[in-house]
Amino acid sequence: MNSFLRKLSWLRRRRQKEAELREELDFHLEEEAEERRADGLTEEEAGYAARQDLGNYALVQEDTRTAWGWTLLEQFIQDVRFAFRSLRKSPLFTVVAVLTLAFGIGANTAMFSLMDQVLLELLPVKHPEQLVLVAERGIRLGDSWGDNDISYPMYRDFRDGNQVFSGMFCRYPTSVALGYGDRTERASAELVSGSYFPVLGVAAIVGRTLTPDDDRIPGGHPVAMLSYSFWQNRFSSDQSIVGRQIVINGYTFTVIGVSQAGFAGVELGYKSQVFIPMMMQAQMTPLSDRLEDRSLSWATAFGRLQPGISIAQANASLQPLMHSILEVELQTPMFQHYSDYDRAQFLKNSVELLPGSHGWSGLREHMQTPLWVLAALSGAVLLLACTNLANLLLARATTREREIAVRLAIGAGPRRIIRLLLVESLLLSAIGTVLGLGLAFLADRVLVATYFSADSAGDLPVSSIPDARVLLFALGTMLLTTLVFGLAPAIQSAQADIVPTLKDRMGSAAAGKQVYLRKLLVSGQMALALLLLIGASLFLRTLANLENTGPGFSTEHLMAFSIDPSLNGYVNDTANVFFRRLTNDLQTLPGVSSVGLSTIPFLQGHGWSNPIIAEGYSGDPGQEQRPICDMISPKLFTTLRVPIVAGRDFTVLDTRPVALINETFARKYFPGRNPVGLHFGLVNDQSARPDTPNLEVVGVVKDLKFKNLRDPAPPQAYFPFWQDVRLRHMTFYLRTRVDPQQVMQAVREQVRRLDPNVPAIDLRAIDEQIGLSLKTERLVASLSAVFGGLATVLAVIGLYGVMAYSVARRTQEIGIRVAFGALQSDVLWMVMRQVVVLSGTGFAVGGLLAFALSSLIRSQLYGLQPHDPFTYVSAAVVLAVAACAAGFIPSWRASRVDPMHALRHE
Amino acid sequence: MKEKTPSRIELLQGTLDLLILRTLLTGRAHGHAIAKHIQRTSEELLQVETGSLYPALHRLEAQGWIEASWETSDKGKRAKYYQLTTRGRKQLASEHSKWKAFSRAMGLILSPGEEEAR
Repeated sequence: MNSFLRKLSWLRRRRQKEAELREELDFHLEEEAEERRADGLTEEEAGYAARQDLGNYALVQEDTRTAWGWTLLEQFIQDVRFAFRSLRKSPLFTVVAVLTLAFGIGANTAMFSLMDQVLLELLPVKHPEQLVLVAERGIRLGDSWGDNDISYPMYRDFRDGNQVFSGMFCRYPTSVALGYGDRTERASAELVSGSYFPVLGVAAIVGRTLTPDDDRIPGGHPVAMLSYSFWQNRFSSDQSIVGRQIVINGYTFTVIGVSQAGFAGVELGYKSQVFIPMMMQAQMTPLSDRLEDRSLSWATAFGRLQPGISIAQANASLQPLMHSILEVELQTPMFQHYSDYDRAQFLKNSVELLPGSHGWSGLREHMQTPLWVLAALSGAVLLLACTNLANLLLARATTREREIAVRLAIGAGPRRIIRLLLVESLLLSAIGTVLGLGLAFLADRVLVATYFSADSAGDLPVSSIPDARVLLFALGTMLLTTLVFGLAPAIQSAQADIVPTLKDRMGSAAAGKQVYLRKLLVSGQMALALLLLIGASLFLRTLANLENTGPGFSTEHLMAFSIDPSLNGYVNDTANVFFRRLTNDLQTLPGVSSVGLSTIPFLQGHGWSNPIIAEGYSGDPGQEQRPICDMISPKLFTTLRVPIVAGRDFTVLDTRPVALINETFARKYFPGRNPVGLHFGLVNDQSARPDTPNLEVVGVVKDLKFKNLRDPAPPQAYFPFWQDVRLRHMTFYLRTRVDPQQVMQAVREQVRRLDPNVPAIDLRAIDEQIGLSLKTERLVASLSAVFGGLATVLAVIGLYGVMAYSVARRTQEIGIRVAFGALQSDVLWMVMRQVVVLSGTGFAVGGLLAFALSSLIRSQLYGLQPHDPFTYVSAAVVLAVAACAAGFIPSWRASRVDPMHALRHE
Repeated sequence: MKEKTPSRIELLQGTLDLLILRTLLTGRAHGHAIAKHIQRTSEELLQVETGSLYPALHRLEAQGWIEASWETSDKGKRAKYYQLTTRGRKQLASEHSKWKAFSRAMGLILSPGEEEAR
């Protein structure tokens, strides 16, 4: 410690130490000389002898400095200074290298930042790694609203019967009408069990959190917590919020607290604004009371593993409990009417625990594959950037051969040379990284604004501002790239055989070896570029295919909005009247030609499927593809301009149970028959037992895309909306005579006139909505196109560099050839042949790589195969044209070599 | 590059430190004097290379075993004089006993007879 402090103080007065060392050594020399003089040597001889005795003065200085203990640091500073100087001397090289790195590192940092937030970020709760999601696997006899959802009674059984969790909670996100002061707005609510906050370990910043005592009696706990950001934005961080009354769906609630900053629920992409006890479910989601319903899976359940218990152990331990729950469920009346086969299958259901540390997210599941694909592509760009840099550095090493050789000759060790060159590379990548971070920030801002903000699910917590993890990633990438691109050239330079280099720099053996290495690198670059171009064109064509296929209805002058009057007390008949009145009101608007309603919005990934039995159809309803059902109004298909191919549309006079089906439904369940007038029945509809199909088909409509643009139309059945007593949410479709933008304001006002407290949500043109439904595809296509373009530019620069260098090196040889009668075209072809060989090798490797890797992205493609020959050929042609253009310039220059000039050269 | 005088003995790694410390036990001295003293006392068998003397001196100073001061030499010139510190004395004692043990061990192995005869 003492010696460290002493060294530190020496570091501060370094100049003085230097002077003192010189004085000390000079004194030594004088003493020595004096001694020699005493031995009888002349003044001159004595001085000379003393110097000889001392040896290399500079070396002694250097060695002594080492004892001061900061040589490494000092040499590093020296190296950095030197690197700065030498980079300034070759500005073109520096600019190209820094830009190459900035793009490579920037692309990866931007991707990492997105992935980190969408895929890797943990919940801001205590020990998130202990959280698991509890899901049921196997067949569902009742309704399931999500693959990982379970029923509330099942959650309760797990909570009370398990031996592996220190606590469990469940939650359900839902929209509510929230009134405070004199305004009402639609807010994102999360129904949470009383254990939610205690188990997550999330505290209240004001007031208190919900506890199990706030969640005991159904309908008996009108208390709510606000999220931090909601409290900040809507209540200006009012400290006296606790005890304030707010109105949710017409019920008066008391605010008991505000959750800690940064916490907005456990679902990424769904920012909860208000937390409400689970027991208030019936009040919050009108027309459905699900707390005792075992046939409806709707809640997401989480458990916190006891310390020391692994997911696998917990999983095994929960299976017997699961089995006993299932047996209890089968005894309940709502499971009575299932066949023995179904019951036997049902008992085989199992429980699955999924890691819950990231919370739950539809967005994550949806974005996972595309983001990984993009990350892989950006990684390939970085690799390409590295090869390009290695290539540039090798070229630079050749021009610096003499300088390095001189350094080696006057005593610099190879290690020192490597260190010097690596510091230079490090400096390059440091500048590149800083620039790259800037680029990444800009790129993420564009990406977040384009793809992550205008989401109807609520604003996403994705930000473009780099955090510590992103900076750390950039730093790691910087160091890694430095090693990847800098080490090989540095080692090669330091091992150079100095004697031939100092004698004659042209055509040294080392240069020949370098050219070989550089050509190898260029072939590799061509391979990577082709791979990226093929990927990019696969994704671009997927996007184009999806855009061309369309939804199966005309989207021109079509707009839509959603509305949920049930949150404001409109139920059953009043809701029915509300929808009819609004339909009539909207139809009278100038510019609107027709209006249709559907309870499920098209192309937004939603759907309600139900097993059916059909007249004259013998398949097992449990095994077949279930039709997707929807409640609609008359004239919906007129509005969408989807023709009714047989039978008729609904009319308001339809009071008997009637249905419209699509062509796929007709083909599947009524093959070869005219379906109009035939009957089918919904299997788990309590009133309609499977043996009495009660729904009469009155018409058949043409197929249209329902959930999204990708999936072909499923069998579909439509019912009149006024026959559903549990009607809540409706999407209105309006065909306009003018641009939808022109009537939006009028539509909004018309809705407000009917009831100012019921807002129209997601009011937009269908084209815009289809655009939104393709945003992932667009993200992948545009980014992969950018990466592909970047890769092509980098590879072409690399090729040009190598060819230009090779021609320059062979000027003399070419001169001799020309002198001996070679034609311009011979020389041109001689060089171009190399270009063809280099690119050809790269193409072969890249093509094979693409062939092997592209099947990994099969699920991301639409309308073409991963091995689509047209894509491969066109990508290769594009790259080949670019490569030939880049190769032609040096070839042409070679063909114009003047032999006289070339032979005098050097 | 390196010429070796046959009569000279190459210093073993680490022994130069010990020799410097021992030399300074008799009083303060500058670098040249230390080198000469070692040379003379070893009957010219040990030649201290200037190239390793000064790094060693500075290393010992950094360790805090010797300290330096600028003073006027007997010939009236400014010179850097080194002298032993208290910690240096302790270090010398411990190094010295280690060396004795080491040289006895070497002797036992290299010439067992001689050692027994003693």
